[in-house]
Amino acid sequence: MQRMFMRRTGLAVLLMLAATALTFALVSAAPGNVAALIAERAAGPGADGPMIARIAEELGLNDPLPVRYLRWLGAALTGDFGISLRTGKPMSEEFATRIPKTLALLAGGGVLALLLSLVMGLAGAVSNGGVLDRLLHGVALVGASTPNFFVAAMLTIVFSVMLGWVPTFGVAGFTSWLLPWITIALFPGSVLSRVVRVNLQEAMSRPFATTGFAKGLTRRAVLFREALPNILIPYMTTFGAQFTLMMIGAIVVERVFGLNGIGAFFIEAIRFRDFIGMQAVLLLFVVFFVSVNLIVDIAAMLADPRLRRPRRA
Amino acid sequence: MKTNGGAAMIKLQRRSFLAGTAGLTLFSALPRIVLADGHDTLKVAIAGETGDLDLLQNVSTLSSYTVVFDGLIHYGAGGALEPGLATAWTVAEDGLSISFDLREGVLFSDGTPFDADAAEVNLKRWMGVPDFGWIGISAAFDSIVKDAPNKITVKLTRPVAAALLELTIVRPVRFLSPKAIGADGTQTAPIGTGPWIVESHDSTKTVLVRNDAYWGEKPSFSRMELLVVPDELARANGLRAGDLDVIGGDWVAPLSPRRASALKGDGMTVIAEPGTATTILGYSPKSPMMQDKAVRDAIFIGVDRAAMAAVLFEGYADATVNIFPTTVPTAGARIPVPTRDLAAAQAALTAGGWTGDASGFTKDGAPLLIDFLVSDEAFPGSRRIAEMIQGQLTEVGFQVNISSVDTATIHDRRPKFEYDLTFFATYGAPYDPHGSLGASFVTAADTGPDGKIYVSDDLDKVVLAALDAGGDAREPAMQAVYDWISSNTAACPLVVSQRIWAVNPRVAGFGLPTTDYDLPFKGITLS
Repeated sequence: MQRMFMRRTGLAVLLMLAATALTFALVSAAPGNVAALIAERAAGPGADGPMIARIAEELGLNDPLPVRYLRWLGAALTGDFGISLRTGKPMSEEFATRIPKTLALLAGGGVLALLLSLVMGLAGAVSNGGVLDRLLHGVALVGASTPNFFVAAMLTIVFSVMLGWVPTFGVAGFTSWLLPWITIALFPGSVLSRVVRVNLQEAMSRPFATTGFAKGLTRRAVLFREALPNILIPYMTTFGAQFTLMMIGAIVVERVFGLNGIGAFFIEAIRFRDFIGMQAVLLLFVVFFVSVNLIVDIAAMLADPRLRRPRRA
Repeated sequence: MKTNGGAAMIKLQRRSFLAGTAGLTLFSALPRIVLADGHDTLKVAIAGETGDLDLLQNVSTLSSYTVVFDGLIHYGAGGALEPGLATAWTVAEDGLSISFDLREGVLFSDGTPFDADAAEVNLKRWMGVPDFGWIGISAAFDSIVKDAPNKITVKLTRPVAAALLELTIVRPVRFLSPKAIGADGTQTAPIGTGPWIVESHDSTKTVLVRNDAYWGEKPSFSRMELLVVPDELARANGLRAGDLDVIGGDWVAPLSPRRASALKGDGMTVIAEPGTATTILGYSPKSPMMQDKAVRDAIFIGVDRAAMAAVLFEGYADATVNIFPTTVPTAGARIPVPTRDLAAAQAALTAGGWTGDASGFTKDGAPLLIDFLVSDEAFPGSRRIAEMIQGQLTEVGFQVNISSVDTATIHDRRPKFEYDLTFFATYGAPYDPHGSLGASFVTAADTGPDGKIYVSDDLDKVVLAALDAGGDAREPAMQAVYDWISSNTAACPLVVSQRIWAVNPRVAGFGLPTTDYDLPFKGITLS
């Protein structure tokens, strides 16, 4: 068991290294010149050729790509992610102020998606082909098909502009988080509700459910006691995937609701060609994606003994 | 409180817990208007965070500097020079020195007096420093003489015609408290003499409090919050909901004509006035196609500026063929905007040796095909304008390929002149006319990713002569530049976008700030 965990963790580290190398190469290959941007920041319109060349030399931008990657990675491992070309602040400082907002958004959205999916999925399964089941199917389809910027705009117009219940943007207490959480949770909640519903349907036709019925249990009892625990693994893995995708959603949601977390920073970094900011945020994304998947894998192994058995040819 | 095995425990009944939770939820869901206390706070949207307002670094939002820091001279309507921290100034006849009478009794917001010593320390942070060589008065700086506790003279190595106008720009020319300059010369805090003091700033907002010791007219309200709302629709909804009082301004929180029209329909007050920056269609001076004046002439007369202003800008723009609008000083004589004339455009091509008709022209077997470089990301709305121009030029007989690229690519291709046509915009007040002329029409100027509107050896001589001309010689020299550009069809000005702002009904007395680099607060009262 411990060996498997170690092996899985080792693979995750290798994956992170490969992903960071790839993103570093891609960002380096993008059009634009870091030295020119730094010169522009320092001197405005006065940034000229010799100044740009001097900065490029000082930063080692003329070195081969692998050398630059290793130097960047070494600094990043010590917590030095460079200085944002857009804001002029160390990236570690940007992370410290912005990550909590993004985490609050993802955590709230994750909890809401979890609740939404379980309620919708279970209610559909209980209704089993009834009006409620079909209605929830439709709601899930709409939720999974509507872009989050549209959801955000609609929610804002109704609950902020028309009713005045919640702020239109910014972080100002619990109520200011409600619309961002609903917006970011709608897509994963809808997708996961279908995972719950479909897997419950499948579980209800398996032998252990038939045995439950034969023992005189009600449909609801079989559903909750026998079928529900059996969908844990597919639900967990899909939830993990959806949770990581919420980070992509955060890029739009943070901007629309003026939350100014890491997602909003990333968009601005791209717009202003803040290569140093982009690389640091991409590193963070890679760590986030790989870590969430690692946690889900380990949790699945803990939950299901079959996954802990060594594979044999 | 009970103890259980040594651990302290608070006994909480389920009923109490549920009642408390419900109460908290209800309280948090109360309409915000009940709890609002912002009657003395103006809430202004900004598209990006203000930053630390370092006067020597190019990373903070330009509009926020002007409320915290003052310069010696302020930019007034139409480019009039108004007293700021200098009450009077005298330029020597030879142009080699400028004396300033400093305003007496002025304090920085940390209590430090503004005097000749403070002025000298500040000016020497950028005057004569190579990084600020793009400012004429910095490049020509020789020395500073303190004539009296409140009088200084800046000595120059050569006359700088736009020296006084340069002292009105946003940064680095404004004044910082000497106590806010660290031992290494860097700025440690944004302490100025302006009407507002920075109380706090982070990535979501900047809070400003009124400087009650301000030397000029004090604002009628005591706080101003600059709230970071990057999304335009969110800003509009914030205004409608009352979460924001003011939105707009090209350098503050841009408001598109379409959104402005929608806000007007929703009962918000929209204020629009003639702008100071011109949208220009630039012809690449390195493109063989664009070296043909007949082609430039045909494009110039083949585009419908009035339709563009009416349709794409929904009336929030003015058609023009001048490089600068009249809101900029020494903008030159007005040239009437021609009506789009297809026949005249085709005649220009025919006169230039092109053969064909509206279905297409050729010359020496080569088709009249042009590459139109566009980046909607770098220049929002430009894709729609480009498509309109494409349609209009196709009717003349051009084949127009639109290359739609991202910001990085246009910044890469524009300085290399890798296009036939592309969009430019002049800097606007207070940087023009010398700013755009010196950067965008001079071969030797290094403008980095911005590229140049048009350059040629002949034009260089005319522009450099105009930039050096002072006094009475300045206006005719500037006119010579405009005449050269016009007679050579070196650029194709299209429209001057209006400056658009929208305010919530609780804001009274709103007036547009002097430039798009300023924040509005003067004359405003809140109800």
